[in-house]
Amino acid sequence: MRKKGWLRRASIAWLLGLLLVATFADFLANDRPLIAKVDGETRFPVLHEYGTALGLARPYQPIVRNWKKTETDWALWPLVPYAAGATDLKNANFKSPFDAQETGPRARHYLGTDKLGRDVLAGLVAGSRVAIFVGVGSLLISLLIGIPLGGVAGFFGNDGLRGTRARWWGRSIGGILGLLYASVSLLPFFRVENLGLTVLLLILGFLLGGWLLSLLLRLIPFFRKPTNFPADSIFLQMVELFVNIPGLVLLIALLAAINQPSLWVIVIVIGVLRWPHIARHLRAELLRIRNLPYIEAARVSGLGQWRILFYHALPNALGPLLIVSCFGLGGAILLEAFLSFLGIGVPTDEVTWGSLLRASRSRPDAWWLAVFPGLLLTFTVLAAKALGEQD
Amino acid sequence: MLRYILQRLSLLPLSLFLLSLVCFALLQLTPDDPVRRLLPDDEARLSSDDPNAYDRSYRAAAASLGYDRPAFYFTLQNAALPDTLYRIARPKERAVLRTFTLRTGNWPAVENYYRILKELAWTVRSEDRIETSTILRRLLLQEDFDRTKATIFDLKDDPTTAPLQTAFQALENTEQRANLLLPALHWHGTNNQYHAWISRLLRGDLGVSLNDRRPVTAKIGRALKWTALLNGLAILLIYLISIPTGLYMAGYRDSSFDRITTVGLFILFGIPSFWVATLLTNFFTTPAFGMDYFPSMGFGKLPEGASIWEVVRIRAAHLFLPVLCMAYPCWAYVSRHLRRSSIHELNKAYIKTARLKGLSRSAILWKHVLRNASFPIITLLASILPALLAGSVLIERIFNLPGMGQLLYDAALTRDWPVVIIVVLLNGLLTAAGLLLADLAYAFADPRVRLNGTKPSAS
Repeated sequence: MRKKGWLRRASIAWLLGLLLVATFADFLANDRPLIAKVDGETRFPVLHEYGTALGLARPYQPIVRNWKKTETDWALWPLVPYAAGATDLKNANFKSPFDAQETGPRARHYLGTDKLGRDVLAGLVAGSRVAIFVGVGSLLISLLIGIPLGGVAGFFGNDGLRGTRARWWGRSIGGILGLLYASVSLLPFFRVENLGLTVLLLILGFLLGGWLLSLLLRLIPFFRKPTNFPADSIFLQMVELFVNIPGLVLLIALLAAINQPSLWVIVIVIGVLRWPHIARHLRAELLRIRNLPYIEAARVSGLGQWRILFYHALPNALGPLLIVSCFGLGGAILLEAFLSFLGIGVPTDEVTWGSLLRASRSRPDAWWLAVFPGLLLTFTVLAAKALGEQD
Repeated sequence: MLRYILQRLSLLPLSLFLLSLVCFALLQLTPDDPVRRLLPDDEARLSSDDPNAYDRSYRAAAASLGYDRPAFYFTLQNAALPDTLYRIARPKERAVLRTFTLRTGNWPAVENYYRILKELAWTVRSEDRIETSTILRRLLLQEDFDRTKATIFDLKDDPTTAPLQTAFQALENTEQRANLLLPALHWHGTNNQYHAWISRLLRGDLGVSLNDRRPVTAKIGRALKWTALLNGLAILLIYLISIPTGLYMAGYRDSSFDRITTVGLFILFGIPSFWVATLLTNFFTTPAFGMDYFPSMGFGKLPEGASIWEVVRIRAAHLFLPVLCMAYPCWAYVSRHLRRSSIHELNKAYIKTARLKGLSRSAILWKHVLRNASFPIITLLASILPALLAGSVLIERIFNLPGMGQLLYDAALTRDWPVVIIVVLLNGLLTAAGLLLADLAYAFADPRVRLNGTKPSAS
């Protein structure tokens, strides 16, 4: 398909718009006003909540529990004066967007309500936040795994990394032994419970173990012979193993096994399952780039291998990588909708596009519950695909 | 050719082995306790009346399930932990002993403390002193060392609990943290849970469902029949529609037919099929909008002595929407691939020759282009199969069809692990087999693959 300029621009605009909506979701749909004057005091209830959550500000006194019943001198309400998941029993039992609604002086439920009178539009805004969080988060994790692996495999291939046998054997086996030792013995010894410190200690164990074993192996003549490190073959085998895993089925089993569903678990699992897509593309791109004349020129002028990879080769591969990332973003958002539609792994109090769709199944004639989230999802997936489409 | 097959086949057992390890790890990590599920309810009531008897029956149940064995062929653990830790049947008890030993490094002291605690918890009757008894029983499963410490120091001066306090003091005072620095590797041989599990699987005994005690084989066999029917029809429909579409799109490239179809297929490819399926069920299988054209649930009931014609009619009415929903995303996928590879072929010289001979466009497309352009289509089957299997989870759930997807969903929600694990393994096997078959078919059709060991770049 020929890439049309307007389609690209529209897709970028859609995704950016979604990002904006997700970022400012609290200011777009909330059941408290943005600015309100109560008893002569000007309050910023939405903004202030962030301050309270961060510990920067103290809650307003007296505390207002329900802004809708509070007398205010004047108030500026968000565009959608309802919070996702907050019930409105006066408009309960599936009010259509065109039905008569008892909202009083406040805005209508523009896109209707569900069984308990929860506003659909507010749910969509909250859902876009979940979608962006899962999409971007899992993308970052797959990039974190995929860029180093794919980059090294593609740039060095099977013959780019030279060194003594002691170095490769020592670093790989010693590193693994060091990692195991750190997790089995050092973690309880130092009583490490904090996540960051745990990761730090494990990495330290890996590096130290590798260094020590390669020092030791250097004493044996057999290990002093220089060889190539088969980075590309190892990479391809790893990808092959991952491809055989039935991702979605395993995801369902994995998420059902977890007692407390949380979005973080979904982000991590999707990210880890999808890294081969990113890594494969990066590898192919770097295989092409490493034969370009400017890399040759950099080599001739005596730059180090790793410096060439990080400063010259990888930046050049970022464009194609971005395209694949867009594709991955769409896929991850779709997967999240899929899981929340099934009701597996996503916390039940979280309103998502998928959970709205699921709610529509209990009441088929409430078409607004099915149509609007599906449309948003479709546009997002199409935008991601239009950007990720390659000729 | 044989060498290529062997080379490809050699990886399959490895990835299946890894998948079985992942499944087994999942089985181990699941938070609920299958032994508890096996015990009848009045046994569970025993736990408050007579903990000693409960402990005995728990241990017997664990042994009957094979949980009194080590989990794997070997364990790599801290040297401070005893190598027979697995003999403690209850996972929660094991966790307490583990954390305490990893905290202090002194196993004998931990063991002594726990033995005293257990004796006390069993001898202090709840009828006599309800408060002490509750505290002691809570201590049995208290994993947090500091909290245990606080609780024990809060215990009143009482001759019965004094030994516990001294034992805990001793445990705290004789900390041997240097022990923690050594790792230990224990070899258990083949008498372990994984070995037993995998050899049962290989013998064809898939276990019984935890929910209804029916054999997993029977459950899966019934579900598999429907999923196979659904997927078979979907694949048939995909190829029946997308091969002509792709070919004619390439043949009439840049015509308005090509342009409209390209846009249409792009949009079709992007619309999530579970949304379409939801809309279709909402609109066409319920009377909500007055368009109740299709039956809504399952595969339909056949009346006694129905003729073949009637069977086909009933099944078709039930299967039409699900098969459509499963097939359409792949339509777009396959025909776009076919279009691309056909255009590549159409630019070649032999097509020009055929045209010069005066063959019609249809003849060129069907007789010459299709054969050469269909190589990528073969590999597509490999990527379609797993996608279809995964997709059938949603489609079967939405249309309420009793297939594998529905089985997986129900089993996952009720934590029926024997069923879940087998479905995951089966899916892995099918995915791997599909990839393998596609590679072999490709190698068979295109000798370049065999000779170079790499696929020619997808055109």
